[in-house]
Amino acid sequence: MISHTKELVLGTTLATIAFVTIACSASAKNEVFFGKTTPPERNILRYVTGDEPESIDPPVSSGQPEARIYMALYEGLVEYHPKTLEPIPAIADRFHANKDSSEFVFHLRKNARWSNGDPITAQDFVYTVRRALSPKLASRNASLAYDIRYAQAYNSAAVFVKDPVTNQFLLEEDFTDAVPPEAEPLSQKSIGAGELEYEITDEEPQQDADTAFHRFMHSPPRLTLPADEKRRTARVSANPKLQAAMAGKELVKVSGEDLGVEAIDDYTVRISLAQRAPFFSGLVAHPLFRFVPRQIIEKFGDRWTDAGNLVTSGAFKLKHWKPYHELVVERNPMYWDAARVQLEEIRFYPMSDNPAIMNLYKVGEVDATLNHSVPNAWLDVVRPKKDYMDGAEAAIVYININVTKAPMNDLRVRRAFAMAIDKITYAKARRITKPLFAFTPEGIFSGYPQPKGEGFDPEQARKLLGEAGFAVTQRGDGTYECKNFPVSEIEFVFNTASSNKTVAEFLQAQWKQTLGVTVPLRSMEFKTFMVVRNKLEYKGFSIGLWGADYMDPFTFLGIFSTVGGTNATGWFDQKYADMLNEANSTLDKAKRYELLARAEKLLLDAQPMIPIETSAVNFVKKPYLKGMYPNAASLYPWKFVYIERDTSKWDYGIPNMAE
Amino acid sequence: MPVLQNMLRFIIRRLLVTVPTILIVITITWGLIRLAPGNFYTSEKPLPAAIEKNITEKYGLNLPWHVQYRRTMWNILRHLDFGNSLKYEGQSVNGIIARSLPVSATIGVLAYLLALLVGITFGSIAALKQNSRWDYGSMALAMVGISIPNFVLGPILVLIFSLSFYWLPPSRWAAFPSRNLILPVITLSAIYMAYIARLTRAGMLEVLRSDYIRTARSKGLSERQVVLRHALRGGLMPVVSFTGPALAFLLTGTVVVERLFALPGLGNYFIQAALNRDEPLIIGIVAFIAITLLTMNLLVDIAYAYLDPRIRY
Repeated sequence: MISHTKELVLGTTLATIAFVTIACSASAKNEVFFGKTTPPERNILRYVTGDEPESIDPPVSSGQPEARIYMALYEGLVEYHPKTLEPIPAIADRFHANKDSSEFVFHLRKNARWSNGDPITAQDFVYTVRRALSPKLASRNASLAYDIRYAQAYNSAAVFVKDPVTNQFLLEEDFTDAVPPEAEPLSQKSIGAGELEYEITDEEPQQDADTAFHRFMHSPPRLTLPADEKRRTARVSANPKLQAAMAGKELVKVSGEDLGVEAIDDYTVRISLAQRAPFFSGLVAHPLFRFVPRQIIEKFGDRWTDAGNLVTSGAFKLKHWKPYHELVVERNPMYWDAARVQLEEIRFYPMSDNPAIMNLYKVGEVDATLNHSVPNAWLDVVRPKKDYMDGAEAAIVYININVTKAPMNDLRVRRAFAMAIDKITYAKARRITKPLFAFTPEGIFSGYPQPKGEGFDPEQARKLLGEAGFAVTQRGDGTYECKNFPVSEIEFVFNTASSNKTVAEFLQAQWKQTLGVTVPLRSMEFKTFMVVRNKLEYKGFSIGLWGADYMDPFTFLGIFSTVGGTNATGWFDQKYADMLNEANSTLDKAKRYELLARAEKLLLDAQPMIPIETSAVNFVKKPYLKGMYPNAASLYPWKFVYIERDTSKWDYGIPNMAE
Repeated sequence: MPVLQNMLRFIIRRLLVTVPTILIVITITWGLIRLAPGNFYTSEKPLPAAIEKNITEKYGLNLPWHVQYRRTMWNILRHLDFGNSLKYEGQSVNGIIARSLPVSATIGVLAYLLALLVGITFGSIAALKQNSRWDYGSMALAMVGISIPNFVLGPILVLIFSLSFYWLPPSRWAAFPSRNLILPVITLSAIYMAYIARLTRAGMLEVLRSDYIRTARSKGLSERQVVLRHALRGGLMPVVSFTGPALAFLLTGTVVVERLFALPGLGNYFIQAALNRDEPLIIGIVAFIAITLLTMNLLVDIAYAYLDPRIRY
């Protein structure tokens, strides 16, 4: 009897194995591309965006899946270049900065229209920025606009201090010592009137340059104080001079009208910054600054993004949105550059399971997938195919070190742990990433003289650890041990994700091998991890990932210019912050890069973190899908994307990124 | 009509217990969410204090806990309104449940019907032909069904039917009837099929040996009538009590299958809501699942009374 059961189980198992084997071999043919390559009949792009979009209100979400949808629906003054991500003209047809990059003027094209046919004007931009920064909207990205004059004050619901008799406001420069570096990380240097010099363009001499508002922007910055009484009192009482000056004054709320964004006329926008920001023109392509329709928002309130209500400024408009299933946008005939737009529709599919995404791609039901969608285990099969997209990414993986606790407060110990890691071997094992010896990603910012930190040096690592009082000795079998190292005082903390586990296990092995120290690993759920990391509730090491907000080294280096925030190490050096400020006030690009690089060197020498790798772009797109490039931030201006039916014009391999 | 009256009294009694149970479930959930570190806006890029303050003020998260609790409970009790999702701006929890329930229910009900059909058939055959090849064959298959988790079975089915032979779509939702539903339904139903087959077999075996079957046989009924009218009715009792929780579970979504096949069902939302710390959505879905579970159990008890002449309320 029992033999019957065995027979049957065996039979079933064998049949299953046979079936799976046949299936596998059927799919493992030596093909040029991964799966089907029949172009869709209509010009419809089917694209996997990643997680379900939180909202289609552009200032609301900070995620990549949403950013790509925003880029279809909304346009900004400028747009990202599809390859380099440099700002290119969009609703503004030209723009220029003043000499010291503290003021930017954008000239809007006169034929830009909303999807309902209404003209897009400079006032719309002013509204967009005021809305994005209003405390009531509570945008999570608002800090990206903090370079704009009084933006931080407005967004933080701060107040000015006014003398009711003279109508004069207290000025910041008179009370500068009242500003603690943590609360006001940005320098608030005066621009000073008279410095203003525009690039002269023929058709429009700068007769528009001087307005009452403009003079306000260029007057010495007013003092701003927290609206919250408790915090304000604390701030005022800390500064006797300020306390004395407060008597008999009234508080005036900083309003949207105080923001440094001005519509000089219907088609000219002027943005005044609180400090010099040479990278600002690239920043205005961010979704936070993309035009949203005032009339529609005021008419429908929270429901303005509903399919029937939404009016858009971009190349596409919303057709329908079925959450967790698809979000479909269709060509916007009112778009100023509609003639260029070839796609009739884009269907965004929210999916986050990588194998499921790749399956859908293989059978030809999607035309391209989001970045990082090729699982590591699939690389051997997918990477040799001609539709695999590879490229450097403006993102890094690094290790934070909590420098506030022993033994990691000792620079020698930090250096020892950093030098014990063979990043080149690690990158080889990971196959697509590049080893990183600095804090800015490698090969992203052309012309940036990136400094190099220390590389793999086991001998030196052991020596340094010995000097710090933790002697590393070699055992009889050739392995190392560090007897008196307080292993209980360190750990490696990361959020549960297979890629993090790979890093963690590699580092653990390296440290064990080189230093004889077994660092305990602790993995936790994402949000729990973020709290533990950012509140420095970890000992030793924690994983860090950072992707560029805009294409400038400062988006990385700025992290360590303040305490807290993404700087989850407890390290702060005023000298470093000052060096960055100095660099950002430098007009010459090469000189500025050099100063930034010098600051980066200081950071690397202080070693509050260990850089590990520059991430790599990693996705697949069908060869017939043209105009979509594996750029460093995985952002695609969709109006350039089209479906090519002539096979001789298909992409075989990564499209040329240089031209 | 004392039977019906008793039944009504029983139902009312059960409903009276149900309401406080659900309120307790909601309260515990509400408390547990507060114990979890992080917030719905916690992300890779930590927020400046001022922005965090704007957000907490916008959603009333800065209010004292008892005010927040009272507000949540009041809205639920008074309007059956679970509020708006924190993560998915402007989407109401009630709307999300109303939209995703049909997806989960379609897959769940189809899977359960398939499981009943296959499971009862194989289970009965196994019982009637006890210790035969049929019996061992079905039970071996059932064992395989129970042992292979759906996150293994699903990809294998996809590999064979979608990626190799391009017969069926590998994922994504389409309303019933559609080819898109075939793989997820089979994947989901496998384990239930197996359980039902085993339960049916066990139940039938017990009943077939009981006195009333012997009586039925001795009355001279045909074997067919004995099985269909008497044995099956008694033998399916274990399946019925299994159906309540199983159906409640299937209706409210199955995370793994919905993720594997990218289906916009309730299960997907549930797991994401927890990971997102989306308080109103978590509470809404937990309450909904609790209600479904309690209702299903009530229906099972009523079905018992109908199926088993010995049970009276």
